[in-house]
Amino acid sequence: MTVNNTIAHQRLTLTGDRERFKELLRRRLIECGWRDQVRMLCREIVKENDGNNVTFDTLVTRVTPRARALVPDTVKKELLQKIKTHLY
Amino acid sequence: MNDTGCIHLNNFKAAKGTNPYKIVHAFFVSCTSYEARRYKATSCLCFTCGKAGPRMHSCLHCIFFACYNGHIQDHSKSKKHFLYVDLSYGNVFCAQCQDYIYDRELTELSRNYRVKEAKALGISVPYTPWLPNNNEVMALRRLRKRRLISPHTTIGLRGLQNLGSTCFMNCIVQTLIHTPLLRDYFLGEKHKCKTQGSGKCLVCEVSKLFQEFYSGAKTPLTLHRLLHLIWTHARHLAGYEQQDAHEFFIATLDVLHRHCMNGVEDTEKKENGRCNCIIDQIFTGGLQSDVVCTSCSGVSTTIDPFWDISLDVAGPGSLQACLERFTRAEHLGSAAKIKCSNCRAYRESTKQLTLETLPIVASFHLKRFEHSSQIDRKISAFVSFPAELDMTPFMSTHRRAVEAADNNNAPEGVFEDNRYSLFAVVNHLGSLDAGHYTAYVRQMKGSWFKCDDHMITRASLREVLDSEGYPDLSFCSRVVNYHCWSYK
Ligand SMILES: [Zn+2]
Ligand SMILES: [Zn+2]
Ligand SMILES: [Zn+2]
Ligand SMILES: [Zn+2]
Ligand SMILES: [Zn+2]
Ligand SMILES: [Zn+2]
Repeated sequence: MTVNNTIAHQRLTLTGDRERFKELLRRRLIECGWRDQVRMLCREIVKENDGNNVTFDTLVTRVTPRARALVPDTVKKELLQKIKTHLY
Repeated sequence: MNDTGCIHLNNFKAAKGTNPYKIVHAFFVSCTSYEARRYKATSCLCFTCGKAGPRMHSCLHCIFFACYNGHIQDHSKSKKHFLYVDLSYGNVFCAQCQDYIYDRELTELSRNYRVKEAKALGISVPYTPWLPNNNEVMALRRLRKRRLISPHTTIGLRGLQNLGSTCFMNCIVQTLIHTPLLRDYFLGEKHKCKTQGSGKCLVCEVSKLFQEFYSGAKTPLTLHRLLHLIWTHARHLAGYEQQDAHEFFIATLDVLHRHCMNGVEDTEKKENGRCNCIIDQIFTGGLQSDVVCTSCSGVSTTIDPFWDISLDVAGPGSLQACLERFTRAEHLGSAAKIKCSNCRAYRESTKQLTLETLPIVASFHLKRFEHSSQIDRKISAFVSFPAELDMTPFMSTHRRAVEAADNNNAPEGVFEDNRYSLFAVVNHLGSLDAGHYTAYVRQMKGSWFKCDDHMITRASLREVLDSEGYPDLSFCSRVVNYHCWSYK
């Protein structure tokens, strides 16, 4: 992380805007159905391993790549745009 | 995994209590104060690699931050400290079990801090899924019967018998039954009544009605008792020849709001002088009126609560155009001078209405009926409305920002979300004295039904938006989570 990035990160945390952006993102991901899709992916994995204890790490490694790919471009664009206008 | 934690966490709690978790959560997970945010901003870096993540955790045993991949594991080996709090979510990781541990008590604490943080930052409280309590878990175990909620379910739909020109009531009842948050309130049996069984409480009556709608039975219901109750408590409505759905809607909300006070927990529910009952929580917004004196430019502002927005129908157009007209500054003219407190004289002025706060459910009433001493008539102009509506342009803050801005950089609220989505429409067909009301309601996302007294038929969104009956009332709810998946 560069000095600039650290400062931006600190400023966002300090003002509470980091949480606000997170909340906005969370809301968008729910609205577009992303959360439900990811939940389904997790269910599938738990079912595949039926009976065996599936750890959080297993879920993270198996689900993350697919979950990332499922985030709609419109959501990414909106967030990026808003963070940019907010920072400069 | 159950929700009673692991032996390591339980031993830790027995020895140290929940304080270490509370401190970590309040300062580094949810940041309930400015001071906490300052700590988090400056000191939440990995003690090993100096980075700010990913997946920062804090040791529960000592002051130590580290990222999940490797560095907390190193710490747990060298220091024999096994419990860590995830600083993004507040979950507890046990290095001995090598997994996150569910603990009901800590989950509950975490939730409370989250709510506090959201309130401190002025953002909506993050959605948390329903967490059944012990009684509910038991009840679920006992009840083996399961109902599958799929896009094709018709549960929650029931026709209503016409008791002789009572279609106005049927439409309003269908709308209320399909108001998302109201449904959650009533199906959650949140109204604990002091008048239990007296038969005089409308909130209790509506509670019963919800049970009837969701019982799975299909026969049409008759609403004698409900109508009688509303007429008893809103006497101005009783015995009218011509019933108006909008008037009935407002009267029903009013009686419900008054009867909410019968609730054991609702009696003293007031926040800064405003009623906080379920009706007001869902339907109340604030209408701002600014009167500007044309001589001294002094502004006098008043804010009044509202349950619906009544809009003039000037001719064919859209809901947005009606709202645009509704919030436009209007010159009051020389015939309507108002006393200016600044000038201490009667002056010409302009008046502008804007929305100061938005309700969760916005109800729009199109004023189609014109009553005057000479003539009663209905304005039958088609007014289109969108499935999704952004209310931002009609808000007080937005109007101020637009006026204040001399360039295009209006300080728009980046985090504001004022979008609404349509969930019910009430139509009036025919003439003023020989008319009939029908309603369209949304059962689930994308699933619409037409309610014509005892007849319920599936409808498409297109049909709803094009409804030839000229919408009289439309109801929009803030965009919330509506996704429904069928599990095979
Ligand atoms: Zn590290
Ligand atoms: Zn430690
Ligand atoms: Zn453990
Ligand atoms: Zn009651
Ligand atoms: Zn109230
Ligand atoms: Zn004046």
